[in-house]
Amino acid sequence: MREQLRIALQTCFGYRSFRPGQEEVISRIMCGESVLGLLATGGGKSLTFQLPALLLPGITLVVSPLISLMTDQVQQLRAQKKIPAATLNSAQSREEARETLRGLEQGRFKLLYVSPERLQQPVVQNVLKRIGVSLFAVDEAHCISQWGHDFRTDYLRLPEAAKRLGNPPVLALTATATAEVREEICQLFAIKPENVVALPVNRANIALDVIHAEDEGERRSLALKLMDSLAGQGIVYCSTRQAVEVLVSSYQIEGKKRIHGYHGGMESMERMLVQAQFASGELDLIVATNAFGMGIDKADIRFVLHYQMPASLEAYAQEIGRVGRDGKPGYAALFAVREDVQIHQHMVEKEYPTQEQVEQYCRLLASGAFPSPEQLAALEISPETAELLAFYAEKAGARQADGTVVRNVDERRIARAIIQALERRKLKKLQKLTAMVRFAQERNQCLRKSLNRYFGDEQHSFATQCCTYCGLSRDAYTGPSPGRSEEEMPWDFRRALARLLPNL
Amino acid sequence: MNSQSLGPKEKDFLCAVALNALIPLARDRTLQSAYHILRGRKANQTLQDVHLYSLYPYYRLFPRITKEEWEKIILYFMNKGYINNIPVNIGSAKPSFLVTEAGMSFAEERFAFYELQKWFEPFSRELPTHDLDVFWQRLHLLVQTVSQIAAGDLQFLPVVRDRAVQQWVKRQLPDPARRKRWEMHLGEELYRLWEPLAEELQKLLVAQLSGAGQAGRTMTQLAAMSNQAPSFLQVKFRYALAVSMERLRREKAAFPLLRGLVQDSGKADVRLSDSASRTYALLVRGIPKEEIARIRGIKESTVEDHLVEIALRCPEWDCSDLLPPDLANLIVQTKERLGTSRLRLIRDQLQGKVTYLQIRLALARQQGEGRHA
Repeated sequence: MREQLRIALQTCFGYRSFRPGQEEVISRIMCGESVLGLLATGGGKSLTFQLPALLLPGITLVVSPLISLMTDQVQQLRAQKKIPAATLNSAQSREEARETLRGLEQGRFKLLYVSPERLQQPVVQNVLKRIGVSLFAVDEAHCISQWGHDFRTDYLRLPEAAKRLGNPPVLALTATATAEVREEICQLFAIKPENVVALPVNRANIALDVIHAEDEGERRSLALKLMDSLAGQGIVYCSTRQAVEVLVSSYQIEGKKRIHGYHGGMESMERMLVQAQFASGELDLIVATNAFGMGIDKADIRFVLHYQMPASLEAYAQEIGRVGRDGKPGYAALFAVREDVQIHQHMVEKEYPTQEQVEQYCRLLASGAFPSPEQLAALEISPETAELLAFYAEKAGARQADGTVVRNVDERRIARAIIQALERRKLKKLQKLTAMVRFAQERNQCLRKSLNRYFGDEQHSFATQCCTYCGLSRDAYTGPSPGRSEEEMPWDFRRALARLLPNL
Repeated sequence: MNSQSLGPKEKDFLCAVALNALIPLARDRTLQSAYHILRGRKANQTLQDVHLYSLYPYYRLFPRITKEEWEKIILYFMNKGYINNIPVNIGSAKPSFLVTEAGMSFAEERFAFYELQKWFEPFSRELPTHDLDVFWQRLHLLVQTVSQIAAGDLQFLPVVRDRAVQQWVKRQLPDPARRKRWEMHLGEELYRLWEPLAEELQKLLVAQLSGAGQAGRTMTQLAAMSNQAPSFLQVKFRYALAVSMERLRREKAAFPLLRGLVQDSGKADVRLSDSASRTYALLVRGIPKEEIARIRGIKESTVEDHLVEIALRCPEWDCSDLLPPDLANLIVQTKERLGTSRLRLIRDQLQGKVTYLQIRLALARQQGEGRHA
């Protein structure tokens, strides 16, 4: 079979050989086993379901929470005409969804990207049951873990959905997961321990640097200097949109590189243009919130700076993982300022509803129905929070099988149960934050060991340089700055248009 | 546009526009009403204000301005003594404001400085019946696609994510013959379309386009390169788009390819919001408003908002079932006599003989007639 897989890889995707981990995952799936794949994003994760999708009969499902990523992938697949693929998600119009369902019935697709909430719909499930699902892939599988850093309630319904679709083999994929989260995923999807395929967390070609600063002022001047001196293209992560904008405008005063901000508050077209410019090398630096990076398929990013600390080591590992996928030396620096911890603590607090909100929510429940969007808005409960509340209310037994509220529900008991559950989650988040802080403040141990050990990996080999603790020379990563100004020529409208449309 | 990074140029431009938008609203409306207009809120109150005070060029001029930024601007005006609050008194439910002499002269001076007369000209009489965003997205994606076709490379990520726009572009390029036509003539049509524009506007348009071997510049980049307020550049850009669309509509024969960009906008009725146009489709079949609310699964008050929108923009709609003509006249007369458009004052004056919906319909009709006359 190995030979067969290689031939398929060559003919359909044009690659000579598999990247690490891919073959192990794919061959197990082809034997009908359920697999957990711990592969870095951009490490060829998507090939592990795309290749089986071509070889298996029926359809391969990919559940993903990231709508824009799904759309991108489907668009790429369509452009390259590799695999007939489609997507079903909540951003589509009813007509589009109907069109996709019709296409599925006619067997026009081999690969379907679906959002978790669409998969819950009986219409969708019925169509899928009829055509037969041969592989059930779950991207960002750590979202199923209640204790993960990115829990999504709708993910918890996935095992049940898989069962209803006739228990096809499951391929759970994630880039970063602690041992605890791995176990949870395996248990929920009945994945055997021997079918866990994990790539080493250690990224030997990336040097890990932590830079301590007394206050914001010192941090900014250190960061601006570093941004200017590092060679190659890089990303600077900030924790808020404001921080992005401020850093960009301070850099622009003296900085020599081509830079642009990127965050969720920008228009979609502007974001696309920034991505495209970065991909084609027309930008040197992107200053971004964590909204940037998902689905960025760029192998030669040379450095990632964390202007502020991320909320967890999971997020940190994922973000620095974008450096040096080409295997060449890369550099990651984290700026540590004491006051950041408070900002994160504050953000964790703000993320959850207050006790009062929970009680009001339960009062509405006791009146016999799940609160309407208007009622939720009046309590200033966001849709995401509402989902979380509904989830815990259900776990506390407030929901009947038909989706209605249990009669004479004890509102005080439900409220207590919800508050307890939320406290547990908050605590877990704070623990993750603590682990992150400990890493940032680490002065007695190799940073590489410390990071890898968090994910249960004892490896700590490195290619060029290790980390701040082991000794590191930043000069190895600096280089000449590119010229900033674009050549100024007299304006020629015809010529400018003809660059895009040569038949002018 | 972020409160912490609002540069001095950007702030000056926002202030210039904001104060000019406030002037006609003084004594009648709240400060907030101008904020809603600039952001382009779709609520009927806002749309009616736009018509009533002829603030067409201001509508949706700064769709992304934040509340904090707006409040900063107002605070600046207060500190400078450009505007004063009018305290709430009997008869007026909401607080209004005054623009001072100093404010008037600042507004006038900045209006001239930025040549707003010129940039606002295409928007001076009515709200655009076509969506400028849709026009630009279609054009942008068309150019990108045709550019990639010309380069023989169809593996690219479209800059426009909107599915409706993507499908529209696809429909323009259905077969090799038509693709060839676009490939051969798009450049030339664009050249003729934009050739009469000022060099600055040509650059602004072309630099934003993407294609094979070139990703478009963002507005932020162009503003930095030309050292101008991003919002000012946006206003010029909007002008260039409106002028382009107008010309395509006027000279259809000269632009056999590009004219398609302004022919169907993809919406049911371009004069209305999507939702209102669905309500209108039911309304013309003689279905009463309660029933429409039930069929569409929306609130009756929402349907009423749609009715007002329709009364304003669709002169062909006969609303005499809901508003007998003599009642409409009475309402309009009362409004003129009182010199106010405040619904509550009009209703009080007519001693509750009319509903709020009737007053709104009558006022909308009157404004609509003014526009269509």
